[in-house]
Amino acid sequence: MPKTFATTWLVVYGFSLASALSNAGEKEIDFRSQVRPILSNKCVFCHGPDAEERQAELRLDTADGLQADLGGYQAVQPGEPERSAIIERITSIDPDVQMPPPDSGKSLSASEIEVIKRWISEGAKWSDHWAYVRPSRTTPPSPGRGDWSLNWIDDFVLARLETEGLQPAPEADRVTLIRRLSFDLTGLPPKPEEVDEFVADKDPQAYEKLVDRLIASERYGERMAVYWLDLVRFADTVGYHGDQDHNISPYRDYVIDAFNDNMPLDQFTREQLAGDLLPGSTTVQKIASGYNRLLQTSHEGGVQPKEYLAIYAADRVRNLSEVWLGATMGCCQCHDHKFDPLTTRDFYSMAAFFADLDEAQHFSKGGNSLPTNRPPEEKLLTERERQQLTELEAQVVGLEDELVTHSESDPVTRELLEKKLTQLREQATSVRESARVTMISVAIEPRTMRVLPRGNWLDDSGEVVLPAVPAHFGPLDLGERRATRLDLANWLTDPERGVGQLTGRVFANRFWYLFFGLGISKVLDDFGGQGEPPVHPELLDNLALEFVESGWDVKHMVKLLVMSRTYRQQSLMSDELLNRDPYNRLVARQSRYRLPAEMVRDSALSISGLLVLDYGGASAKPYQPAGYYRHLNFPTRTYEMHSDRRQWRRGVYVHWQRQFLHPMLKAFDAPQREECTAERPRSNTPLAALVLLNDPTFVESARAFAERIVQEGGESTDARLQYAFRLAVSRAPDQRETELLGELLMSNQRQYEADPTAAAQLTSVGLKPVAEGVNVVELAAWTSVARAILNMSETITRN
Amino acid sequence: MLIRADHATTLNRRTFLRSGGVGLGGLALASLLQRESSGSPDYAGVPGFPHFSGTAKRVIFLCMAGGPSHLETFDYKPELARMNGKAMPESFTAGQPIAQLQGQELKCQGPMTEFRPYGKSGQMISDFLPWHGKIADDICIVRSMVTEQINHDPAHTFMNTGTALSGRPSMGAWVNYGLGCETSDLPGFVVLTSVGGRNPQPIASRQWSAGFLPSRFQGVEFNSSGEPVHYVRNPAGVAKAQQRELVDTLIQLNAHRNQIVRNPEIETRIAAYEMAFRMQTSVPELMDVSDEPQSILDMYGATPGDGSYASNCLLARRLAERGVRFIHLYHRGWDHHGDLVRYMNTCCGLTDKPTWALITDLKQRGMLDDTLVVWGGEFGRTPMFQGKGTESGRDHHIKGFSMWLAGGGVRGGLAYGNTDELGYNSVENVVHVRDLHATMLHTLGIDHQRFSVPFQGLDMRLTGVEESRVVKEILV
Repeated sequence: MPKTFATTWLVVYGFSLASALSNAGEKEIDFRSQVRPILSNKCVFCHGPDAEERQAELRLDTADGLQADLGGYQAVQPGEPERSAIIERITSIDPDVQMPPPDSGKSLSASEIEVIKRWISEGAKWSDHWAYVRPSRTTPPSPGRGDWSLNWIDDFVLARLETEGLQPAPEADRVTLIRRLSFDLTGLPPKPEEVDEFVADKDPQAYEKLVDRLIASERYGERMAVYWLDLVRFADTVGYHGDQDHNISPYRDYVIDAFNDNMPLDQFTREQLAGDLLPGSTTVQKIASGYNRLLQTSHEGGVQPKEYLAIYAADRVRNLSEVWLGATMGCCQCHDHKFDPLTTRDFYSMAAFFADLDEAQHFSKGGNSLPTNRPPEEKLLTERERQQLTELEAQVVGLEDELVTHSESDPVTRELLEKKLTQLREQATSVRESARVTMISVAIEPRTMRVLPRGNWLDDSGEVVLPAVPAHFGPLDLGERRATRLDLANWLTDPERGVGQLTGRVFANRFWYLFFGLGISKVLDDFGGQGEPPVHPELLDNLALEFVESGWDVKHMVKLLVMSRTYRQQSLMSDELLNRDPYNRLVARQSRYRLPAEMVRDSALSISGLLVLDYGGASAKPYQPAGYYRHLNFPTRTYEMHSDRRQWRRGVYVHWQRQFLHPMLKAFDAPQREECTAERPRSNTPLAALVLLNDPTFVESARAFAERIVQEGGESTDARLQYAFRLAVSRAPDQRETELLGELLMSNQRQYEADPTAAAQLTSVGLKPVAEGVNVVELAAWTSVARAILNMSETITRN
Repeated sequence: MLIRADHATTLNRRTFLRSGGVGLGGLALASLLQRESSGSPDYAGVPGFPHFSGTAKRVIFLCMAGGPSHLETFDYKPELARMNGKAMPESFTAGQPIAQLQGQELKCQGPMTEFRPYGKSGQMISDFLPWHGKIADDICIVRSMVTEQINHDPAHTFMNTGTALSGRPSMGAWVNYGLGCETSDLPGFVVLTSVGGRNPQPIASRQWSAGFLPSRFQGVEFNSSGEPVHYVRNPAGVAKAQQRELVDTLIQLNAHRNQIVRNPEIETRIAAYEMAFRMQTSVPELMDVSDEPQSILDMYGATPGDGSYASNCLLARRLAERGVRFIHLYHRGWDHHGDLVRYMNTCCGLTDKPTWALITDLKQRGMLDDTLVVWGGEFGRTPMFQGKGTESGRDHHIKGFSMWLAGGGVRGGLAYGNTDELGYNSVENVVHVRDLHATMLHTLGIDHQRFSVPFQGLDMRLTGVEESRVVKEILV
């Protein structure tokens, strides 16, 4: 166990992962992955970028600072640890000399001190922070085992595994692969016939065909949108105080459309930040500009508009910097960043980009209606809805013409045509009437933006700032013109004159997270000094460049990742791997984890056959415990669940009440969307167990699932269990599973025979009527079996 | 000491695996390092906690949401009575944040009730709270509170998390994380909100959020009507034995599968289902007060199932008895911009006696000694008149207000700190919300400076980075 212990020690105590995994004895110390994290975590808080709080005028976050003359000596003397003040300080036991000071609550471990010593001995080589330098292209290595790689991702992964003396896992079986791909690309489990077809497909291109089919499905956009909506904190309500509904659902549909249409990410960025400023701004672009309105707002009686405008400005900077820059600029609201080269001035200069937004109207016009008013808003149709309308209108015209040509025809034909025409007209009217109101961005005269000392909105003494990107990244070159949100969007995505390549890296890392369960750099929203240097820096850089150079082609990136051999590995863990790489950072296997909240819901509905795949539209309201909104006021409200097909829509469309998120979503870690969420936790709690056991959505799913089993699963118990298992987990049950569920079935059958009233109660949970002619006792007994299957770990696990 | 947010998880997983005898060498390590939170019930807090032996084992926090007036409860201001109707001196209000009175003429509003001394200590308490008079010697009134947020929603967030920024853990989650829970049948942090009273301010579930801590530490709201906890009741037509049978089958199915996939998450999920099933019994049992004698119900003024503050005070005692670590009650309706007298009568009528009963009941059971009880709103109210409604009221006020603490090592019969003669600014022994947090943690045996979790590159603490102190003067 000594090795195990050492690994634990290093990882738990924050020692950088790269060094824990490599053989620390021989290789030269790498500043970026080994030294900087120590300096950042233990020293830079007091000796860093925050000029106001910097101690002893010493900076340990810059090359100059480390070797600055401190009066005849310097903190770091390359090659000479014994002459480097830093070593004297970190090895001292005198409380007056010792660094970090005892009262800081920080200390260096013996191995950390050793790393710093060795780094100085080896010449104290400096390199800029990895996330702030442009990615560079590395020629993929040629791993020893030449036949394993399917694309260059595999070359990087395998070469690293070989260095570490590890083997990649074998390829997963086809059933696992289609389940994995279906969840990852569409958020839904595969249907049994899809599984059969894929398993039987002898075509060498079978896997790629499957990938192409899933990526082309409209379900793909719905799945990808969930992640984006978390990032930009999309919700149906204002968040603060009365938490009234606001009008924004067309923005959600815009995001889904954008992923389905494979909109390049640079365009996606421009339209959201500055859709209203684009030349000839279209309806779609206006909907997209709703991004700027997604933040939490308040019109509580007694709010001071000045205070809240300051709060909103800060909120926007936080979100923008986390979503696109992977930077935690929020710190700079009150003080210069403690770890990263970002200043308070940068913060308010970024806020100034948004100073033109018309956002103050709701303070007076908001009101406590549902939805509230947050002008500027516009009533409009989404892109898909307009296409649908255009098609319908064309058909109407066609039919009208046809009627003219058939004016002499027999009355039966005419009647048929007229009936069809009426239908079409009604459909067109219904689409027209489905137009929704949505918040948009409108630019007005920008308000004056000042640096707020210590973030204090009452203090008007700070300097006035104009829109500017953080000084560390250099100025925008615009001459005299005031920079706009469009300039900001262009800067974020321009690989040459802006930080496009860095943005590319932020998103490449997140794509990796979506398909491997964790990032190449673990911290998805902080690429700063306190984030984590990437485990595979060259791979991440190449992915970033691939993304940018592909023209920000998201589907291309997704396909590239899932086509790799690395992606196709089994997720089972060998004992060796558990010891060597328990977090699966080196990806010597796939990851397995519980499905996200929406997929847990969608999966149960899909298995049961209840799922309604309507696309877009106003948010849906499924069953919810009575009285859950009783603490809401202004106005008080009762949740009105939808009693029609909207009840069974996908999770991405569920009404997102920030203050009282649906308890099912909450129990499975969906965020309240008050702030940017780049990574959801994956908890495993009794409250989640209660949801799967007792939430009417899942009980109704179980009884609908049971109905399917009884009606379509054959006659024998074995056949039915096979059918059920294949629907839920894409495989047949083994003998033990068959026995266990068979016993549960028989026992419940006996109990419901004795108590048919109970059977009737269980089978009437939910809105879905029981099919005629079904034996209710049998159905109830099978509902118990179905509940067990829907609750199985495997059913809610992606592996 | 630096504690990782996922340490809690890992520790209890390790415990689970050791005690469960799974015995898969490497698996224990994998578990140790898994970052997901766990449902395993035997979590016993952060290793090394408490830092020292505290005087309190648990907290009952009685939140009077809306901001009760200190000037009509615990802060007696004869000078304000003398100034009644006169202009509020500008020396007090210039440059200060103001809520609804923005841009209006500011004039003094004298106390709208009488005060009298109670108990051996002679604490001054208003006539709105006669039952509080009977526990005057048990409570320590802090008359010099200050907070930083002047609107309800952010002020609650500030009171609960120490900051107005979203996404930070509530104090109950911090305590639950730090010390764990003394029961494996109930959550460690329970929230109860009462019905009754006037049109209440909304209260958001983020007030009991676990923030960046694992979600298992979040507050779980118990409802007085409908299902006591969401989805805690079996579906219609499913008997308890059937549910047990189902859970047993499920556990066996999962354990069987785990022989092949060996996923530590499955172990955790099995434990989570066990606890979920136990909660299905323990929660309704807790909420069913039919085993309480009539004399106790009368003492609180509780009618079982009515969802009143009185019933919740009784439930708070029952939760405390069962080992729940942090019990947070919300009673709303204290936002008296107008008609203050009328609404004070309503709010105090609903809360005064039950609060007395809670303290008295804890005391007679010997539980007050190790239960810290805290009473107060998210802020106080202005010494200035506000005229919403037909009669006088007061606006939100953050520069000086009153709260009280009792039990758990707090000195009863003490009045600590003072506001100025008009009750505007806290001027003597000022107690910031952060000081309250530091003091609360101290009674629990936690050094607030050594209680941090890394998040977004910083070592986050409930008491933040600004100065804060344990108010030792109010402790025994």
